[in-house]
Amino acid sequence: MSLLQEHVLLRHRDIPNIRDIHVYTAHGGYDALRKALNEMQPGEVTDVVKASGLRGRGGAGFPAGVKWSFIPKDVKPVYIVVNADESEPGTFKDRELIEGNPHQVLEGIALCAYAVGAEAAYIYGRGEFRGPFRGLQQAIDQAYEQGFLGENILGTDFSLDVYTHLGAGAYICGEETALLSSLEGKLGQPRNRPPFPAQVGLYGKPTVVNNVETLTNVPPIVRHGAEWYRQFGTEKSTGTKIFCLSGHVVRPGNYELPLGTPLRYLIEECGGGVPGGRKVKAILPAGASAPILPGDKLDLPLDYESVQAAGSMLGSASFIVMDETVDMVWAASKMVHFFKHESCGKCSPCREGTYWMEDVYHRLRDGHARPDDVDLLLSIADQMDGNCFCLLGEFSLSPVRSSIRHFREEYEMRVKRMGIGD
Amino acid sequence: MVSLTIDDVKIEVPEGTTVLQAARMSGVEIPTLCDYPHLTPYGGCRLCVVEVEGARLLQPSCTLPVSKGMVVHTNTARVREARKFVLTLLFSERNHFCMYCQVSGGDCELQNAAYEQDMTHWPFQPNWDPYLVDASHQHLVLDHNRCILCRRCVRACGELVGNFTLGVKDRGPESIIIADLDVPWGESTCVSCGTCVQVCPTGAIIDRRSAYLGHEADVERTRSVCIGCSVGCGVELITRDNRLLRIDGDWDAPVNEGILCQIGRFLALDDERERIVTPLVRRNGTLKAATWEDALDYVAGRLKPLAGKKGDGIAALASTRLPVESLYLFKQLFADKLNSEMVTSIEEGVTTALSGKVAQELGRPFEGSLERLKSADCVVAIGVDLAENHQVAGFFVKRALPNGTKLVVIDPYDNQLHELAHYALQPQAGTDYELLLGLMSAIVKSGLSRDEPTNLSELAGYDPQVVSQVTGISADTIRAVARLIASSQRPVFVYGKGVTRASSPEVLSALIELARLVGALTPDQSAIIGTKGQANSLAAYMYGLDKPFEVDGHQAVYLALGDDEPSRRLIKRLKGAPFIAVQASYLSPATEMADVVLPVEMWAEQDGYYLNLAGKLQKAHRALVPPQEVRSNVGVLKALAARLGVELEADWRKSLKKRAPINPVVE
Repeated sequence: MSLLQEHVLLRHRDIPNIRDIHVYTAHGGYDALRKALNEMQPGEVTDVVKASGLRGRGGAGFPAGVKWSFIPKDVKPVYIVVNADESEPGTFKDRELIEGNPHQVLEGIALCAYAVGAEAAYIYGRGEFRGPFRGLQQAIDQAYEQGFLGENILGTDFSLDVYTHLGAGAYICGEETALLSSLEGKLGQPRNRPPFPAQVGLYGKPTVVNNVETLTNVPPIVRHGAEWYRQFGTEKSTGTKIFCLSGHVVRPGNYELPLGTPLRYLIEECGGGVPGGRKVKAILPAGASAPILPGDKLDLPLDYESVQAAGSMLGSASFIVMDETVDMVWAASKMVHFFKHESCGKCSPCREGTYWMEDVYHRLRDGHARPDDVDLLLSIADQMDGNCFCLLGEFSLSPVRSSIRHFREEYEMRVKRMGIGD
Repeated sequence: MVSLTIDDVKIEVPEGTTVLQAARMSGVEIPTLCDYPHLTPYGGCRLCVVEVEGARLLQPSCTLPVSKGMVVHTNTARVREARKFVLTLLFSERNHFCMYCQVSGGDCELQNAAYEQDMTHWPFQPNWDPYLVDASHQHLVLDHNRCILCRRCVRACGELVGNFTLGVKDRGPESIIIADLDVPWGESTCVSCGTCVQVCPTGAIIDRRSAYLGHEADVERTRSVCIGCSVGCGVELITRDNRLLRIDGDWDAPVNEGILCQIGRFLALDDERERIVTPLVRRNGTLKAATWEDALDYVAGRLKPLAGKKGDGIAALASTRLPVESLYLFKQLFADKLNSEMVTSIEEGVTTALSGKVAQELGRPFEGSLERLKSADCVVAIGVDLAENHQVAGFFVKRALPNGTKLVVIDPYDNQLHELAHYALQPQAGTDYELLLGLMSAIVKSGLSRDEPTNLSELAGYDPQVVSQVTGISADTIRAVARLIASSQRPVFVYGKGVTRASSPEVLSALIELARLVGALTPDQSAIIGTKGQANSLAAYMYGLDKPFEVDGHQAVYLALGDDEPSRRLIKRLKGAPFIAVQASYLSPATEMADVVLPVEMWAEQDGYYLNLAGKLQKAHRALVPPQEVRSNVGVLKALAARLGVELEADWRKSLKKRAPINPVVE
């Protein structure tokens, strides 16, 4: 079920075995790289990506071409780091790309490297990606064999080495500076910004950190041009996006749709609606990190601006659907537990704030809640807001605040049942 | 310069300054916990948040760089609320019940911060979980219950000392400070430098000796110089009621910038030798307490007839731990006035004599300042184990390694730096010379030399191929090391006893030539550093107290030992001397042999100058009052001179610079 004639990213769904380099090249694979190396200056590649309006698919939605243009021209070496630490609950798009269409990922990396003058790229995957990374390594080996990676790519001066690295499975290592620390062999904790990775990144050198999906968009953009790409999506949120759909839907999975597609289409047409004909109660648009949307927002167009206007974030577009059977206090407490478990412990507000929020949720769960516990949760959240070292701490507030905002009565019920337990 | 406004005061600060630093410059205090002036800003505790006009969120001042026109408020209601929240979280995190803590009452930064925010209680349930206390370390205790996870200790261990022993295990609220891969601290790779205890803001890391000895508010702090070795680190001696409690590194001392080693911080306090508190004179075979009058008269009576005698006269030996002033009086009294031919130090110039000879031949100093180590991009250590001795210099090397500084260690013997070195060269014993010439030959051949070699014809015979057969180090390695050294921008050479012990200066001369070849020795400055022996080795050399000694037929020995411990070798040589006078602080095998013992001040009781290994002249200060009958080294020598009818000159400074200096003396 798709609004697209054919997939831009999930091309393995249209073309069987495209993970093999011969199939990939037979369907226009590496043409974009050939075109860039033979016909375009590095700056022109950046310009096309800028013109396409491609925004980072990792969550922040920062324009990719603009990010590339921050790389200084006079400092070498420059590194590319590909963020494949796909750890947001309910997100599984990068994994499918790596498993199904790895050469498009690699071609995107090569194009990015050519654009910013990098000769080494590191793909950092979460520790659980051991299997997917074996296949990825095969694809890399194939690309080397066929001359798309390595020295003097396609007979030009351009050389690129691609390395893979698996983390140990910490959520925080998806944060780009923590990822860099981890990649350097240090404790995976975020670093101060500024300086930003574009100035001082991996091993202190200018570094582009991009998400797998972001880079996978680059080959079609370079091949077909920015205008072609802009036909998908909205004015400000261009292109297609992989939506990871999970939770209470009949057909969970990845769906590639143009940005701006209504939420209803994703849930009902793609996902086949909620099982048993039950109603949608709440939606998490970006895993645990973005504020919960109430079930009445089904007509929301799924682009960066509209979701933000509705009080949440598109983020990595991992939609978790919850039907009316879900206890929202329970759901929020699960997410708070997740953030407490994944807090790196560097800054005190996140380290201890998540701990105390979970503590209050335990009281709510166990029937020991006090009358002012809901306000206590809000006050902890208010104090943490803006005072954490990185976004992980800020993200942990989303489920708390949004669940109280939309479903406060469920909390009050817990408080009233004080002493009963359940 | 950037101008900004902090709490309605306009100030100008250099670009790159943080808001916290700028506030401190303008006299505004912002509370901090994880921040430490000598560590890289961390931004972890979030206590130092401030309000910046135009910014939606509060900003951590410790990591926020100033920008033009910034308007900062450091003490608004919003800021105070945020700080209180952070403190609330920290207090409820572990056992922070101040009344049970040995460092409360002014010594705890957490408690002080709470007072500052008018905290009287905290609203969260305290965490009742007990945490482990690691008391396995010889000097330190790590009490996780008091830890606030600011990681100052972890950062100091890595950033300042380059040891990377301390780290963090687990994540989030489960985070815990560990040594190595979570082994008991006492069994870890810790080198006991104690920098962690000096930077810990709470009672999480305490030192066994001083932790329970009262509050900081009641102590006296005396800035002085460590005399544990020839590096000459600045220390602060912390005393109360004439009792030495603790030694801290002096952050403002240019030599060490706050860091110390185990010897300077802990072992100096662990002296268990018995103190001599009154003059002693041997009567009927046993040492008996005597008056100063009697003791000095006795010594003078024995020495006077021996003045001017050669061979069967007086042998006078001084410790190189004595202050410059004492060494000067000692040298004058025995060498110039009593004309003894055997006047030297108990160190016998083993670390200085050869260097002095080379300096004399060169006609100028060839060593440089220790500072050079801090900016080196390549360190070549030859015949010296900086993890064993001169450890603080070793810390400078170790902490530079993660930033890309390369380390080459040349030592035929076991050397703890070998395992950290990019090239650990272990040439056959006695082939250092060949190796150095091999390196030079490779440098010249590769065209990387920055100066003309003076021994070109000699180098021809030292092709790496040839040298590899003699030294046992492969020609490829020799070439690679040569390339590494020659392509460095700021190479520094450190040499030690392994070089100076030799009977001829050929290795040292070769090292100097190598340094010159790669631009580390120019007419204006030098990046060669020679480690010396004890604190005043270099001063002893400057006064000519550097020759080997034999007590052979001498009728009297005068041993100015100070607080030094005599070596077994020294004791052996003293045997059979008809008369021995010892000027010392502690009982030792030397005093046991003595006919007269004159009690003198130990290091913490004396004022006096020290000349460190790089020629930096520094003053040590008295922190303790000595026992009543104990005199200063200078006082004893003066009194003895007076009894011998000899006049001594007091201006030690002029004479200090007379002899061919190994390095320029810097005041």
